[in-house]
Amino acid sequence: MANITPEEVIVTDFAVREHRSLWIDAWRRLISSNTARLGMFIVALFVLSAILAHYFWEYDPKVDLDYTLKLKPPTLVANEDVPSVHLFGTDKLGRDIFRRVVHGGWNSLRVGIVAVGISLTVGGLIGLFAGFYENINMTSLERIFLFGFTGLIMGILPAWAAAQPLQAVLMAGLGVAAAYFPNFHKDSINRLWIFAAAGGVVTAVPSLFAGSLVTLVCGVWGILTGALLSRPLEGKFFSNVMMRLMDIVLSFPGYLLAIAIVAFLGPGLEKGMIAIGIVSIPVYARLTRSAVLAVIQKEYILAAQAVGEKHGRIIFRHLTPNILSPIIVQTTMGLANAILSAAALGFLGLGAIPPEPEWGAMLGDSYRYLTSGAWWAVLFPGLAIMLSVLGFNLLGDGLRDALDPKLRT
Amino acid sequence: MSNYIIRRIISVLPTLIGVTFVIFMFQRLIPGDPAVAMLGEHATEESIERLREQFGLNRPLFLDREALADGDLAGFFDSQYVRYMKRLFSLDMGESIHRRIPVAETLAIRFPATIELALLSMFIAIIIGIPVGIISAAKRNSAIDSISMVGSLVGVSMPIFWLGLMEIMLFAVLMQWLPAGGRLGTGIEIKPITNLYLVDSLLMGNFQAFKDVFAHIIMPAIALATIPMGIIARMTRSSMLDVLQEDYVRTARAKGLGRGLVLFRHALKNASLPVVTIIGLQMGTLLAGAVLTETIFSWPGIGRWVYDGILGRDYPIVQGGTLVIALVFVGVNFFVDIMYALLDPRIRYD
Amino acid sequence: MTSLLEIKNLKTRFFTADGVVKAVNDVSYSMESGEILGIVGESGCGKSVHALSIMQLIPDPPGKITNGEVLFEGRNLLDLDERDMRKVRGRDIAMIFQDPMTSLNPVFTVGYQIVEALRLHNDMTKKEARKRAGELLTLVGIPGAETRLDDYPHQFSGGMRQRAMIAMGLSCEPKLLIADEPTTALDVTIQAQIVDLVKKLQQELGMAIMWITHDLGVVAEMAERINVMYAGSIIERGKVRNIYKKTRHPYTMGLLGSLPRLDDSPGTKLASVPGLPPDLLALPEGCAFAARCAYRNDHCLAEKPPLVEIDGPDHIVACWRWEEIAGINKNE
Ligand SMILES: Nc1ncnc2c1ncn2[C@@H]1O[C@H](COP(=O)(O)OP(=O)(O)OP(=O)(O)O)[C@@H](O)[C@H]1O
Ligand SMILES: [Mg+2]
Repeated sequence: MANITPEEVIVTDFAVREHRSLWIDAWRRLISSNTARLGMFIVALFVLSAILAHYFWEYDPKVDLDYTLKLKPPTLVANEDVPSVHLFGTDKLGRDIFRRVVHGGWNSLRVGIVAVGISLTVGGLIGLFAGFYENINMTSLERIFLFGFTGLIMGILPAWAAAQPLQAVLMAGLGVAAAYFPNFHKDSINRLWIFAAAGGVVTAVPSLFAGSLVTLVCGVWGILTGALLSRPLEGKFFSNVMMRLMDIVLSFPGYLLAIAIVAFLGPGLEKGMIAIGIVSIPVYARLTRSAVLAVIQKEYILAAQAVGEKHGRIIFRHLTPNILSPIIVQTTMGLANAILSAAALGFLGLGAIPPEPEWGAMLGDSYRYLTSGAWWAVLFPGLAIMLSVLGFNLLGDGLRDALDPKLRT
Repeated sequence: MSNYIIRRIISVLPTLIGVTFVIFMFQRLIPGDPAVAMLGEHATEESIERLREQFGLNRPLFLDREALADGDLAGFFDSQYVRYMKRLFSLDMGESIHRRIPVAETLAIRFPATIELALLSMFIAIIIGIPVGIISAAKRNSAIDSISMVGSLVGVSMPIFWLGLMEIMLFAVLMQWLPAGGRLGTGIEIKPITNLYLVDSLLMGNFQAFKDVFAHIIMPAIALATIPMGIIARMTRSSMLDVLQEDYVRTARAKGLGRGLVLFRHALKNASLPVVTIIGLQMGTLLAGAVLTETIFSWPGIGRWVYDGILGRDYPIVQGGTLVIALVFVGVNFFVDIMYALLDPRIRYD
Repeated sequence: MTSLLEIKNLKTRFFTADGVVKAVNDVSYSMESGEILGIVGESGCGKSVHALSIMQLIPDPPGKITNGEVLFEGRNLLDLDERDMRKVRGRDIAMIFQDPMTSLNPVFTVGYQIVEALRLHNDMTKKEARKRAGELLTLVGIPGAETRLDDYPHQFSGGMRQRAMIAMGLSCEPKLLIADEPTTALDVTIQAQIVDLVKKLQQELGMAIMWITHDLGVVAEMAERINVMYAGSIIERGKVRNIYKKTRHPYTMGLLGSLPRLDDSPGTKLASVPGLPPDLLALPEGCAFAARCAYRNDHCLAEKPPLVEIDGPDHIVACWRWEEIAGINKNE
């Protein structure tokens, strides 16, 4: 009975499931969700009709005008009163609203892409660097850059006051020196005194010829700057400055800032795009930063650091791919937001310049005729805005669920 | 706790300074000379120069280096920016360039109108958004959940100016139930106490007036509430779902607590943290959206007023109005931080 | 005489997007009043799910108890509606969890959370409940209990939080306390303290304890009987002495390693068995352990072995070749 002996154990793993790529997995989840499918359908419809209309359905808004057809309700067949078919009716200049709505799609698409492009690039980079350097020690080269740049910026004021560029250069040099000798009197109060004195000297001396008061003011500024440069500034400093800037932009309610920017740049759809892009930079910066913070302590980043990979490579090769999901989601929903904001600007008369077909401007054009019963001139452009925005939001929402398996049931 | 408040106040200060700075920059950067705007195209060189002198528009923007070179330290700092800051600190907002009415005076009337609208909208958004979010989370993946989540996404996607117009068409033009615009019907008198008419009419005990005020405010308030409502509902749902899978929820159930108590006592308080934050941020959306709703409903608030100020280069209006809006926004978010600390002991005791 | 707890053919399933996870498969056993029962097994073998099934706290969806009976003092808990089940939870059966860091609600004071449990099941005023909560904290060895009632969980250390959890669990003097790896998240010295505390309390209060753990030293020391679980099923159970000295299942032997001894000190973890547990989405036809078993033969792969009594109810095993294995067990 005791003749049984363990054989060479051949372990068969039943446990390893079929390996599927993360992205393919996400795609399957996406197309299995009804709402995401609806979103994809609307977005596809919107993008296709905008592109097709732009390239294959000629339309010159400048000559589109027919007073005989002013404010006609929608018709499905031609009759003697209205000899042409107007699916969505006509507006106050007798223009076919259907045609203008379809062509308006192209403008909305452009606004969305340009505005999101601006905020994604600028905000994304700010967030990426802020998040990264907040947690990773800078290399000496990067520190030299940070200090030199800080010195340069701080040096601009005395340089301007004394009307010569020398101080800015000297301050930048002082910054570089501070970064280059991080151990010079380290942890000692002497470092502070020495750098403050050096700062005072390099700013005061070149401004001697400009008058004693100039020298005094520059000297004081130089001492303060020198004191700042004596500190072991790190990525945290950079990150703090950047995020504070973002806070300031964020503390202006969205449209108001956009309106002010457009007022500054002048009206026009392109200006509107830029304004909307600038206003949402902080959203992307914050999102990217927090996404970076969520993965920066992960093993693969630590490993990349440990083998001494270049910071630029870590950021773009290891970090970026791993924070893509929240950014993809935000980009999709950002498109929706940009379209909505552009329409709001257009409605206020700050976006597209008439007679350019743009949904918001079309609404702004015709809402005064609402009381005389011309509901179609308001209903259809508004529906177009709402549906296209809804499409991107549905898609973004579906993407979030698909890319975040944690919330799956 | 008071430590925490002090720390928060200190951390808000740089933001406030930045905000005033940006407002200053915008006033000066918007093309066009205010003196010309004030006197009209045909004014003489001389009178324009005098006006520029009077408003300090001939001073440099930030610092005067010529004064410094002349040894005049006070002159060095005597710039448009410093004067602007001084005026801010003395709460002097100047007067409208075109109408010659003190900005503070107009603000006192128009600001409560906007705030009343914003508060009522936020109230609507919260009392609908939060329960919808809770129900959705509790009945996750049910038909109710899908419907309310797609519904709230429609809310988030709503062009509010269009919704406002549709409301007017339906309820004012077609049904004639509600007035199409304005804040008060003709012949209704309100004694301005708080300048929030809903409150004032109640304080007066004048129910007729209250009904009238309500009829005027309800359409713009609903239009303005849609986006925050959608956002709040979605945020409540997702943060409820997050919390419901926490271990302490299981602990609460293991104690024998019923579903209701678990949901409303143990989960909701934790889930409310991100919701409170989003509500603070939505206050900004409301204040900004006021420009649009105020345009459509001829609501006499500051949104439309500032907008006209920007277009008309009426700097004191732009400055006063934007500052107040930004201050409210910063203030609301400060208040949110305090709320957050009250709700979450981990922050309070740090 | 009815047992305190008798489980019959319990089956729990998770219906997920990838398929049906068979987390608990046909588990049957019973527990007597005042007894300490140990439950051991690898991670993911269904220990927690089985315990949560008793409490009916399985997240639903996706989880469902699809079959079986949970008789508590003769009453089938699965037949109770949610209202009646709520009265059982906390009062008759209490449960404490693995991670004390996340198991207490961070926004309520510790005192509040204990008082809440007390007042839910007892007719007590706030004041009485608070007084009792203070006594409970003292009982579980938290010094300065009165003042610590008003602390929030984040002001407690991990060990103190677990003590508070235990106080909460004991607050209504349950007849059964389910402790799901209560020491895993703690460091070793604290682990020993918690174990001693529970042993002491068990002697004082006399409730039954179901102790789920990876720590063989501890169960050997405190439990009377042990259930060994594998892939959602019990594969060997019986008196501690039988399990340790007369091991009959190759998996248990693997867990115990080459030299399991009754005097193993606390902290002795399960030895690792080569290979991985089977995918609960697709359990094999025959014995679930066969794939990793050094003694498997064709029979094992083809047919699932039933639980057989080899020493009456004191030793039960589910293995086709237990008799042959008996011959090679070096411990006897
Ligand atoms: N909510 C769920 N959805 C799907 N599967 C689940 C769920 N909860 C548990 N499972 C599965 O049930 C099985 C048993 O899990 P259980 O938590 O009971 O393991 P355990 O024995 O307690 O492990 P550990 O020792 O790590 O605590 C696991 O394979 C797990 O994947
Ligand atoms: Mg477990």
